[in-house]
Amino acid sequence: MYDGCNLFRQRLVLSTLSGKRVKIKNIRPRDDEPGLRDFEASFIRLLDKVTNGSRIEINQTGTVLFYQPGLLYGGSIEHECNPQRSIGYYLEGLLLLAPFMKTPLQATLKGVTNDPTDPTVDLLKLTSIPLMKKFGIDGEGLDLKVVKRGMAPGGGGEVVFKCPVRRTIKPVQLTDPGKIKRIRGIAYSVRVSPQMGNRIVESARSILNQFLPDIYIYTDHMKGSLSGKSPGFGLTLVAETLNGTFLSAEVSSTPQGKGDPLLPEDIGKNCAKLLLDEIYRGGCVDSSNQSLALLLMTLGQPDVSKVLLGPLSPYTIEFLRHIRDFFQIMFKIEVQKPLEDERKGGDKTLMTCVGVGYSNINKTIK
Amino acid sequence: ASEAFLRQQAAAPNLRKLVYGSVTEAAGTEAEEEDEELGGLFRVSRPQKNKRDQADALDCSRFHSNDGQNWDLPEAVDSIRDCFVTGKWEQSEDAA
Repeated sequence: MYDGCNLFRQRLVLSTLSGKRVKIKNIRPRDDEPGLRDFEASFIRLLDKVTNGSRIEINQTGTVLFYQPGLLYGGSIEHECNPQRSIGYYLEGLLLLAPFMKTPLQATLKGVTNDPTDPTVDLLKLTSIPLMKKFGIDGEGLDLKVVKRGMAPGGGGEVVFKCPVRRTIKPVQLTDPGKIKRIRGIAYSVRVSPQMGNRIVESARSILNQFLPDIYIYTDHMKGSLSGKSPGFGLTLVAETLNGTFLSAEVSSTPQGKGDPLLPEDIGKNCAKLLLDEIYRGGCVDSSNQSLALLLMTLGQPDVSKVLLGPLSPYTIEFLRHIRDFFQIMFKIEVQKPLEDERKGGDKTLMTCVGVGYSNINKTIK
Repeated sequence: ASEAFLRQQAAAPNLRKLVYGSVTEAAGTEAEEEDEELGGLFRVSRPQKNKRDQADALDCSRFHSNDGQNWDLPEAVDSIRDCFVTGKWEQSEDAA
């Protein structure tokens, strides 16, 4: 039983995984348009597609939602994501569920691939996928591909996400991030001059080159039917360390007709600075993937998992509370202060837990 | 030694309490909800601003921290120098 529409995805996803029913009331009761928004309804429909036998009840105004999860079925699905939020919003939820399906998931998601609010598809591809590999979810089947790019507000993009299923999740010990060996990035542009990409790359390099020579930023310009319905451009940067940690940052242009437009030079500079912020925070998991890592730790074998994170984001703190509600797992949280002579950024947080030994009962044994 | 330990305990904020403890506190304040009545018929609808804002906030996982450094300053740049392979290495490790 919860109040309000915030953290909507966390509640539904954890409810599905734990099999516990959830009731959310007071969803925007005092708003001009009360109740669930279209993008939330779209997320519920997506959940309905990947599960079998879920029961969803919504009252007439949409301010109360009751959800009884069914079995995670998976398989091949196609979903038209509401363009109010980008595909990243839906994909974040799907990433948490995908390893626990009955049959391997192959999801085709259509909608907005890049917008300034949510983590973009490129960011999830570059950071979440390598993180899942560390937990033993790997192999041929794990893939995230941008087929068509679609910027906000029009959308028209298409993404294919494939994920294999696992019976159990490996416990991990990620306590040393290692040093950053290279920086990679994608500067994308659609329905604008291809020169935009080059201008972004130039300005981002001007900041990052003082740290590291090994920087390569791809320019990705999509044309014709692959470029969606709206113009736009942006940059996603990823720093890779020797131990295979990926830290990321990104900036997208403001959607057409919403606020002041950004210069490509500013996007490059801001994004480079955001990446430096992320490196300062540090840890073995990037801040946008903290909750994914913590969930996989919780659902691991009954053994100790340790992960070093940067400062916890507000979203992650709420996620920890929800993990306690649904799985009765509390993490041990320790602060690690940097040593006197070290120049490795700010305080880190060491998270320790014992997995609940969740095994995927949905998976068929051959 | 025990003094030093206690001092350290007090200095380091107990994150576990911050994360898990404040939930019970929030539940406590909910009980003292009170309705003011106007002329015995109408109730003043006064939404508790903070709580409502949080409950209906935008559901987004991105971390907007506002303690960002000013990366134009050389001190800030210096503070993360050792995160890169070009920085100083510890005795035990080697760039193999």
